[in-house]
Amino acid sequence: MAINAANFSTAVQSLNSGKDISNKQTPIEAQKSFANTLKDAINKVNDYQVQSDELTNKLIKGDNVELHDVMIAAQKANITLNATVEIRNKVIEAYQEIMRMTV
Amino acid sequence: MSIFSSMNTTTSALTAQRLRMDVISSNIANVDTTRAKQVNGEWEPYRRKSVTLTANEGKFSSFLNKAMGKREGVGNGVKVTKIQEDTETPFKLVYDPTHPDANEDGYVEMPNVDLLKEMVDLISASRSYEANVTVLNANKAMLMKALEIGK
Repeated sequence: MAINAANFSTAVQSLNSGKDISNKQTPIEAQKSFANTLKDAINKVNDYQVQSDELTNKLIKGDNVELHDVMIAAQKANITLNATVEIRNKVIEAYQEIMRMTV
Repeated sequence: MSIFSSMNTTTSALTAQRLRMDVISSNIANVDTTRAKQVNGEWEPYRRKSVTLTANEGKFSSFLNKAMGKREGVGNGVKVTKIQEDTETPFKLVYDPTHPDANEDGYVEMPNVDLLKEMVDLISASRSYEANVTVLNANKAMLMKALEIGK
């Protein structure tokens, strides 16, 4: 939390001082870093899915896992996946909006 | 702090309450146990067990924040630090000369488990569990509502 707040405050400072962060990058770099960020985010979502899968399998096999841990892992996977779908919808929407532009 | 910090806190509480429930089951199951362990060659009845819960604030970042005078962390839930035996309450003496563990006067030492107390603890544990599940569901509802922003 503290680190996030620090990042945020430096971002605000640089905005206030008139520096433009995005101008430092070329379009290709920006695209690459965006792709990496997206990949990381999707991998994190996948991690939650895998974790939920593992716990469910353990429960079925009769290993020593708490039932609520399994349920909560499933809920976390559900929420992260929903968030991903929501973001995807927004991205597609933006793309379609651009494509609908009259030339 | 991630978006799931509240969920992780609730999970720790659910685990703690489950463990409390396990200990209570053990107490109730052993309400008539006269041979729990051997002390100096003689059998001793079962002793009532109880759990000690402690706030789980062991994370370095929470101490650092506190030391730097920043906003204190919200904590990381609860943990069970001890399962201790009740050595204060004396064993109940029951007159039963036919019992194999009766002493010369015909009295049997029974465990110091009070069934009434255990039932109250049981209700407390299961209600706490329910409360934490309610918190979890509220938290999930909150996150799902957040996903509806801008729809």
